[in-house]
This record gives sequence, C-alpha cells and structure tokens, in this order.
Amino acid sequence: MVSKSRLVTAKELLEMPDDGFRYELVRGELRKMAAAGARHGRSAGKVARPLMNHVATNNLGEVYIAEAGFLLASDPDHVRVPDISFVRRERFEEIGDMESFFPGPPDLAIEVISPHDRYTEVTEKVGEWLSAGTRMVIVVDSRRRTVDVHIPGREPITLTEQDTLDGGDVVPGWQMLVSEIFA
Amino acid sequence: MVSKPRLITAEELLEMPDDGFRYELVRGELRKMAPAGFEHCTNAENIVATLLPHVRANGLGRVPLAEPGFLLTTNPDQVRVPDVAFVRQDRVEATGIVRGYWPGPPDLAVEVISPNDRYTEVAEKVEDWLRSGTRMVIVVDPRRRVAIVHLPGKEPITLTEQDTLDGGDVVPGWRMPVADIFA
Repeated sequence: MVSKSRLVTAKELLEMPDDGFRYELVRGELRKMAAAGARHGRSAGKVARPLMNHVATNNLGEVYIAEAGFLLASDPDHVRVPDISFVRRERFEEIGDMESFFPGPPDLAIEVISPHDRYTEVTEKVGEWLSAGTRMVIVVDSRRRTVDVHIPGREPITLTEQDTLDGGDVVPGWQMLVSEIFA
Repeated sequence: MVSKPRLITAEELLEMPDDGFRYELVRGELRKMAPAGFEHCTNAENIVATLLPHVRANGLGRVPLAEPGFLLTTNPDQVRVPDVAFVRQDRVEATGIVRGYWPGPPDLAVEVISPNDRYTEVAEKVEDWLRSGTRMVIVVDPRRRVAIVHLPGKEPITLTEQDTLDGGDVVPGWRMPVADIFA
C-alpha cells in the first residue's frame, strides 16, 4: 500500500523553520531546491541588473529576486519560485507589498537552468507559468548559450548570442544582448 | 590549451564499424545513444502500432524503424535520430530509398523522453528538428503522462491522457488517444 504524504499548505511552507534549503510546493507536495552553482548565480545576476535598472528608471513595477514564491493555485496549494521575476506596477499597486507569497503569477518569469536540469521538470514549470497567466517566460541555457522565450499563443523562440532579448509589451523598452548574459 | 576533437562527417559515421552503440552527429561531434529502457520502448511501440498501419493503408509514406538517421545539415554534418519518424510519400518518391542517411528532416519526429533526460539536450533537439523543416515534433513524457506537440509557428500544445493526438495535415487521418501511448 502506498501512503500519500499529507499535503502541505502555502501558509505552512511560509512558516517552516529555515533548514538551509528552499522549497517549492508542487500541488501540495514539498519539492526541495538544490543550491545553485556559481555560473547559474552569475548568469542570473547578469540578467537581473539591467532588468532592475530599466524597471526602476521607468517606474514599470517590481523585480523579485532571492527565491520569491508565487502562489499559483490553492487546495492543493501550488507555490513556484522563479530565479528572477517581474510584476508590473498596476498589479503590484493593486495587491501591495506582502509578507506571504505573491498571490498569482508574475508577468515575467526567468529561469536560469543548469545543464543537469531535467526536461520533464523544466517544461512542466514553464507550462505552469504560462497557464497561470505569466505573459513571458525566459529560459536561460548556459550550455547552449541560448535564451528560449515563451509567450502565450506563440511559437517559442530560441535566441542565440547574436540576438537581442526584448521585453516586448511585458517589460516595455527593456533590451539586452544575449551575449552579455554569458559574458 | 583545449584541443577540439576532429569533426566527423555523416559518411564516416555511416561507415563506422559496429561497436554495439548508436551515435548521433551533433554539429560534427559524435553523441552516443544509450540503449533505452523497456517502458520507453513500449511507448514508442504503441505509437508505431497505430501510425504504421494507418500510413501503409493510405499510402502516405514510410515509417522507418531501428534508429533511422536524418542528415539535417552539412559542414559540420548533423545526423539526428528520432524514436519514431514519418516521411511522406511524395518525398520518398522524389528521393528514393537511399542506403545512407535520409537527406533532410522527417515530416514527423517523435521523441519519447526518459525522466533523466536533460532540458538543454531535448530542447536543442526539438529546435533542430523544427529549424530543419520537420512539420510536427511530438515529445512524449511518460513521467507526466503527456504528449507535447510542436508545430512550426505555433505555441506548443500539451496533451494529457484525456486528449487525442491528431496527425493534422502532416499525417492526415491519423488519430490516437494519448492514454494509449502509456497503455
């Protein structure tokens, strides 16, 4: 007989004592996030800095880093954590600053993947962001030195180091060279 | 100093003595293919069991088995191997039954992934198929029990066990319940 572990709620996750790990909540089940390697953190930093500058300068909204959780569904609770995310100003003002997980999807989610990340899990997460309402998902792949851009209703685009990443109507005016992410 | 391995050509790959392994050629570099597990093979079998009779009964083309190589680009040569492939009849007639690798993409490529397959490698392969002209790529994920259908220019669609796979205008008239893939 297989006994299912008791489902954890978003509130319980938020109040869990720090054991040195971060967790996501996948349909009520804890999923541990391994500490990332140095290249991962560096690539994330290269994307975050220009994004934050652009968003702050133009008062477009808020950028979230440091494993901020987004509550995508309830009962069972589903909390996902992107590497970097952006919520546009109107939505942020409506919801406000809060101690708990952000209720809803970010407008932009950026995932910096490691070479060992599994297709089944990355693809599942990208699909969850999109179906929850995230308007752009960016997957940064340091092995291929590419950036996959997912926008609802469109074919995903793979950008190479010759290309420029563009925030489109999700982060208006934000552009950065893909090569700068891997420099 | 890092010395790059010499690039291999498709012709050299075809003439390599059998060492018990299959290889793909990814931009001129050999990539070894591990033998697949049993579940993986039964998923592919279930697809072939419906696809092959449909294609034969309607004279639609060929469903080559036993790791067919497709020469997608030359110099550096790129030879990719799908789990299940379909080439439509007019292309088979125009090109003939070649002894070597099929020169060009299949019309349909199916990839059955294993839970440990890396995102970076599967995403790269899907991109290679689509960019070289494959008109439909189906990624079968046994862990999530879904089939992800990629069509050029469109958003990928994730089909669950409640859905039916449809060959559309790539394999006209071919339909199979996604649940049957995992039966």
